[in-house]
Amino acid sequence: MNATMYLSQKPEATAADILSYEQILDVLPHPILLVRFDGVIIYANQASQAMLEAVVGKDVYQLFPSFSPRIVTDADHSTHLIVSKDGRSFEATPEFVSDGIILLDLRRLLNGPVGTASRDRDELTGLMNRQALLSRMSRTLGQGGACRPIAVHCLDLDRFKMVNDTLGHVVGDLLLKKVAGRLQSACGGGDAIARIGGDEFVILQHDVTDEATAAKLASRIVDIVGRTYVIHSHTINIGVSVGVAIETEASQACNLLRNGELALSEAKTDRGRYCIFQPGMDTCLIQRREIEVDLRRAVALKQFKLNYQPFVDVLTNEVAGFEALLRWEHPAKGFIPPLTFIPVAEETGLITKIGDWVMRTACEEAVSWPGEVIVAVNVSPLQFRAHTLLQTVASALERSGLPAHRLEIEITEGALLDDTEKVVQTLNALRDLGVKISMDDFGTGYSSLSYLQKFPFDKIKIDRSFVAVDSEDSAAILKSIATLGNSLGMAITAEGVETTEQLARVRSERCTHVQGYLTGRPMGANQIPSFFTQLG
Amino acid sequence: MKNSMFRLAYYSHNHLPDDAATFAVSIQELLEKSRANNLRDGITGALLFNKGCFAQVLEGSLDKVEAAFERIQQDERHGDVSLLALDPIEQRSFPNWAMGFIGKSQKCAERFSTIGTLSGFDPTALNGGEIQSLLRDLALEEETAYQS
Ligand SMILES: Cc1cc2nc3c(=O)[nH]c(=O)nc-3n(C[C@H](O)[C@H](O)[C@H](O)COP(=O)(O)O)c2cc1C
Repeated sequence: MNATMYLSQKPEATAADILSYEQILDVLPHPILLVRFDGVIIYANQASQAMLEAVVGKDVYQLFPSFSPRIVTDADHSTHLIVSKDGRSFEATPEFVSDGIILLDLRRLLNGPVGTASRDRDELTGLMNRQALLSRMSRTLGQGGACRPIAVHCLDLDRFKMVNDTLGHVVGDLLLKKVAGRLQSACGGGDAIARIGGDEFVILQHDVTDEATAAKLASRIVDIVGRTYVIHSHTINIGVSVGVAIETEASQACNLLRNGELALSEAKTDRGRYCIFQPGMDTCLIQRREIEVDLRRAVALKQFKLNYQPFVDVLTNEVAGFEALLRWEHPAKGFIPPLTFIPVAEETGLITKIGDWVMRTACEEAVSWPGEVIVAVNVSPLQFRAHTLLQTVASALERSGLPAHRLEIEITEGALLDDTEKVVQTLNALRDLGVKISMDDFGTGYSSLSYLQKFPFDKIKIDRSFVAVDSEDSAAILKSIATLGNSLGMAITAEGVETTEQLARVRSERCTHVQGYLTGRPMGANQIPSFFTQLG
Repeated sequence: MKNSMFRLAYYSHNHLPDDAATFAVSIQELLEKSRANNLRDGITGALLFNKGCFAQVLEGSLDKVEAAFERIQQDERHGDVSLLALDPIEQRSFPNWAMGFIGKSQKCAERFSTIGTLSGFDPTALNGGEIQSLLRDLALEEETAYQS
């Protein structure tokens, strides 16, 4: 400002006679930057060098991780609140000074981020939040021009929850910060990075000329985020799944995001990889929607029935019980396999209703079976979360008159993943009723021995894959699970036994029960009496 | 805890360009930067490399070592980083080097002899010491693996 006064006192002198413009700008106490449209700084006054370590040639993104000149449009004379790398807030008024060059006039805000700045920011990581991301997306998509086309990368961390549960939230939060840092280093200057939920991030990549450009960033993210972390001397390994959607003509922010999320769920089936959205993926989604509609109807119209597959005591060769298997006979589409509809039922929460029906029906149908024959019923992890399981079981037993010791509840490791303490509480309460509890599909999931430690299961069911495949590996796994179960005093059921050789093998490994086509296929409730008659 | 001394060791696969001239320049840049940062942070250690892999020991206060390792993890000049050790230590094994280095093969040694002088790094001092020999063995193994 001194410079201006000086100029006005000596009207006959031109500015250049007295001070160069650069000198004038250097006198200013606040940072001034000239930034090319690609983000490279081409001029930095002294204040900006001192306050921001601005250097000509650096990317403005290195100073302000969330700012990109691309978000400035011709018509835009508004001020932006931007936060420097070290967390100081500035008010920026960007002006186009010539073709593709922007003047950034920066004023320090001493009271920290206020107004929109904090509203747009994820507090923990300093990245954008969902709101800011959406408005940036629609601005970019609406604007056309230089930085298009764009790609959206939807990220979800694998195993983050385990870290939070085992090492605590403090470490979990630090981990999220480190992930944010790695994303910033993996991305280019103009890309926008947002944290939109607990362990979910979205990246908006600019200048995606072809699929390979997007694929390159996605695979870099998978690599860098998946590398080992060291926090408070803990070594932490997580992974990240990435779903990518590349802009096509007439893309809208919400569609791009939706496609990215779709590709993400595809990527997550394998974890630790990226997947680029393909048009076919929406048909999958549409099919899922259809299943959902059909499923709601099926619950109302009782299109379900239960089949029962016997399991046999290896020592006595007698049928010890039956596992209840859910069957859905769609009036038009025919038999729909559980693998198709159970995930949808879980996603939509319909599983609790269906689960209640299964529990009630199984108990009712089993009550007429001879002697001490058991009915085993599968329970989804989501039924535990609904907190009504205990009541469902108690009332099913009461209404049917089935003695509790003839009911066996099968859970998977998945049930113990979340909120383990609550789940163990429920399991104990069920056990107090007299119900048996078994661990299903052992060997396929995390198969952590710690799950066996958390609760004294009555039985472990070894997944069919270890029985069916006659390899050294699966034999060794079968053997060790059986040995483990024996030493913990748990019964062991080998599933999927189809041949007499398999039966012999399973028997020699001291499994206590077998279940499979060899000892009996699934049958309707009405076939069970004749099944027993045949056995004699 | 934050300020107690730790030693971290890892090895990784080298992503630097194969051609000798660029490789030498890249290594030199990397070492200069590392040395400057490590001096600032009170970190000492050694870096081994050949054309296949890096192996590195970092010693210093836990928070500084963690921060350096985090930067190193973000570096695309290498990948497949395997953390070998992270342990509290009583004293440093490399008290005098902000970042010493050694190239493994004879050829490497010749090629980088000038940098060796620059860094004031004395490879003979590496004799003895568990981690050092561990690193050497690893580097050697990697090298043979790469050649076959
Ligand atoms: C094999 C390898 C070893 C490295 N060792 C160190 C190191 O000991 N200290 C360090 O500060 N940076 C080291 N770096 C460099 C970092 O990855 C990173 O580029 C640097 O710390 C960034 O410093 P700056 O933030 O000051 O620019 C190493 C990189 C590689 C590839």
